[in-house]
Amino acid sequence: MSDFFLVFSEYGAQWGPRLAQAALITALLSFLGFLVAIILGLLLALMQFSSVAALRKTAQAHVIFFRGVPLLAVLFLIYFGLPGIGIVMSAFQAALVGLGLSFAAQMAEVFRSGLMAIPKGQWEAASAVGMTPLQSFRLIILPQVIRVIRAPIIVTFVSLLKDSSLASLITVNELVLTGRAMATEYFLPLHIYIAVGAFYFIIAFPLSLLAKKMGRRSPVRT
Amino acid sequence: MDFSILKMIWEGLLLGAGVTVAVTLFSLIIAWTLGFCLALVRHFSGIIILNFVIDAIVEYFRNIPALTHLFIIYFGLGAVGIRLDSIPAAILGLGIIGAAITSEIFRSSFQSINKGQNEAALAVGFTPLQTIRFILTPQAMRIALPSLGNYALQLMKDTSIVSAIAAPEIMFYARSMVTSSFQTTLIYSSAALLYLLLSLPLAKGVHLLEVRYGRKS
Repeated sequence: MSDFFLVFSEYGAQWGPRLAQAALITALLSFLGFLVAIILGLLLALMQFSSVAALRKTAQAHVIFFRGVPLLAVLFLIYFGLPGIGIVMSAFQAALVGLGLSFAAQMAEVFRSGLMAIPKGQWEAASAVGMTPLQSFRLIILPQVIRVIRAPIIVTFVSLLKDSSLASLITVNELVLTGRAMATEYFLPLHIYIAVGAFYFIIAFPLSLLAKKMGRRSPVRT
Repeated sequence: MDFSILKMIWEGLLLGAGVTVAVTLFSLIIAWTLGFCLALVRHFSGIIILNFVIDAIVEYFRNIPALTHLFIIYFGLGAVGIRLDSIPAAILGLGIIGAAITSEIFRSSFQSINKGQNEAALAVGFTPLQTIRFILTPQAMRIALPSLGNYALQLMKDTSIVSAIAAPEIMFYARSMVTSSFQTTLIYSSAALLYLLLSLPLAKGVHLLEVRYGRKS
């Protein structure tokens, strides 16, 4: 058993920097992907409240499609499939678009449930004391919505971070793909994949703890 | 459009769909049973060390990507002499990860049951075990059902990644057909459509559970 851990101290100096560099790509991909997901998700959530039927249907179709199709199938379709109809992207761009589109569907549900959690009476009360709709939203509704959705937002980010590992399968050189290359190089796959896992854990675990602390009062989401 | 190509693609994908469904079902069984046991011990044992160990296991599996777990099990353990075929490795990996996730679902369900239920059961002479068996578990199950259904849907989609350890499911067949026929766009859009066909009835079922047992999430 002690031999097992000795390997880490022996190779740590070589592995650490390479994995850390790959972790930066993972972090960048997750962060940018999440940014796309938030913006698009907010748009989709608002579209679902729209009075224009076409907008509502489009948003619902997006959510149904991306809730039903695995991210891996989406990534392969974007990266390998779209060039067939003339849309060519780099692997990183394809991963970014795939993660963004896919998690926008989840974020839309988060935003939608957040907006629906606020009773109509809040809007009415705000306008009764003389607030404009914009003021009511900014000062009354938004702060409450944020309290409801902040934990699910963090949970969604953690699952995006984990799912960014699928980008390795369309050749984005992030943590897992770097790990695979190193596993063949050093022929120590168990140690290397555990080290890869540790990098994810270091980022994800504090966030999960934070989400748990925030979400203690609101119902648990999966 | 050449229909013989389309026919060949769908025949291949449907072969994979069988494995997708099988892997989903078997890992779902592991996830639900193991997850329920973990939640029972975690919620009722009251042994601090045991609780800490369970929490550590759950957090370990929840905060690391499934793909990494699969590589550890399939390539990592293989290198130190514990060899599993790709399908058992996939079922085991997804099952254990799922147990960590469902244990949290069961735990929060147990937590949300009113304490008075426990006290009332003890007051009418149930033993603690009987209380868990006849009073608390049936209620917790009802609360957990919609989330468990959602998780099943998630798991079905997650089986796509076991193609990375060469388990011959839908994406695996899609990838190998691409190598032989170069119909990339057609094959990958067919694969996406097939997943949609598998998940839509499942999503419908989950929706019914949510309506029936409340607490939409």
